[in-house]
Amino acid sequence: MKKVLTALLLSVALTGTAMAQAKIQVGCTATSDCASAMVAIDEGIFKKHGLEVEMTPIGINSNIPAAILSNSIQIGGPTSTVFLQAVDGGLDLVAIAGATVMNPVSNGNITAFVRNGITIKEPKDFVGKKVGAPGLNAFLHVLFVKWLVEKGVDPKGVNFVEVTFPTMADIIKSGGVDAVLTAEPFVTRMTNAGLGSVGARYAVELARTDPIIFYAASREWADKNAAAIKKFREALAESAVIVNGDREKASNSIAKFTKQPIELVKATPPNQSEPALKPEQLAWWIEVMSTQKMLQSKLDPSKLVLK
Amino acid sequence: MTAGSAKALALPLAVLATFELWARATHLQSDSLAPPSDIVVALFGAFADLSILAATRDTLFSAFAGLAIGTIIGLAFGIAFGISDTLNRLMEVTVEAIRPIPSIALLPIALIALGFGYRMEIVIVAFACVWPILILSRAAVRSIEPRLMEVARALRLPPAQRVWKIIIPAALPRIFVAFRLSAGIALIVAVTVEIAINPLGLGAGIMLAQQALRPDLMLAYLVWIGAIGYALNVLLVVAQNRLFGRAALSGADR
Repeated sequence: MKKVLTALLLSVALTGTAMAQAKIQVGCTATSDCASAMVAIDEGIFKKHGLEVEMTPIGINSNIPAAILSNSIQIGGPTSTVFLQAVDGGLDLVAIAGATVMNPVSNGNITAFVRNGITIKEPKDFVGKKVGAPGLNAFLHVLFVKWLVEKGVDPKGVNFVEVTFPTMADIIKSGGVDAVLTAEPFVTRMTNAGLGSVGARYAVELARTDPIIFYAASREWADKNAAAIKKFREALAESAVIVNGDREKASNSIAKFTKQPIELVKATPPNQSEPALKPEQLAWWIEVMSTQKMLQSKLDPSKLVLK
Repeated sequence: MTAGSAKALALPLAVLATFELWARATHLQSDSLAPPSDIVVALFGAFADLSILAATRDTLFSAFAGLAIGTIIGLAFGIAFGISDTLNRLMEVTVEAIRPIPSIALLPIALIALGFGYRMEIVIVAFACVWPILILSRAAVRSIEPRLMEVARALRLPPAQRVWKIIIPAALPRIFVAFRLSAGIALIVAVTVEIAINPLGLGAGIMLAQQALRPDLMLAYLVWIGAIGYALNVLLVVAQNRLFGRAALSGADR
């Protein structure tokens, strides 16, 4: 018993010290958006640039800003909406590099999937429907609301509820919601299972190229680690080429981090990696979120992206 | 296995077999359900790559450390409040104001203040464990046979010895019941913290398996957590009976 206890304490202590080393912890959710960091680890690109980087899986994207501030992770991959809301709320975060941007391929992956028995012919058909979004005021929800507004539909008429990705198929099947705002591979899986059909390709119609997810850090950490950030950016520039060009390598790295079955990962192209991030790329998000009354203050994009 | 326990197992086994048949017959395609046979395979797989053992270690370490800290704090205050009526009345409002706060509601603050890891989880588990121990040990101390206290006074025992030699031994069986109650709470809170935020342990394993679209693995974690909870309770009941014998039955729930 004593031996077991000692071994237990020792292993706990070892995990503790491993975490305390000067490794850079990058926290991301289980999506393909941080693929550039995953590939840079697996292909030894960070090592080549003299960086020790490890990835931490984060369950919910909106936890990332708090995780950065507590220094549990030094770099995180928040969505644009999570990042801007955190900064608007007073957290001193700064974007340090780009991860993914919307493009025709990734926009094509995003749909509003409608259950059997509901037909959507035009945007106003969503009025009075119960629509599940993976996170309220999160990426897909904000995009969908923006699309409704552009189509002249008052989003207040739509009943939004929160439905996480892994539960979407079951909730659509049971009729718990009329539609879900979702993306691949869920669209194909639900279509193949005969649960419903695509009701709207709102991201395709918006046709934006703004950032989905970017790498962010606390301003304090970023100021102290300018050299490391420079290396981080150089490494991402290399790995992004692999993510965008080598499906095999990218899929392997994504499957390794997200633990998703490799066939499933391979079925969907990863979102477009774009390591460069310019302040003006955040301007559209700031404008959209301001009109949706999600931001209280007036944010200056030039101060939000590290030079 | 006795005939009685075999009978008790019949119903759950029949339910599992029916579910297995139904899942196979309907070619169940779900991201939240999986046939029992797949769950068993996933559970063995998680044991084989040691991932579930590492997760178990992390969860139990946090739960027990939190339980230990919560017990010490709860016991110290519980005994103090039990002995001193004045102190008890002075602190009553404070205790009753803090006690109803759900420990999970502290998560956002704990994350910013303490970050991911054992520390945050231990603090939240300890917070949840303090209250049952405090309240029950206070009640236990108050219900100590008055003659025992008279003996202590007659022997002119100093306060520290009075606590150590008279109060704790007399109240121990009931304090242990409180400890058992808190041990269950510790496991629940630890897993909940991991599901909500902390990226370690069994709760995080459930979340990761769910996001990886592996319902079999997710449910395997769930089954394993149930087994741990069951084992923990059996262990504590055995310990209680061994340590206190019939004394444990007074005020206990069985």
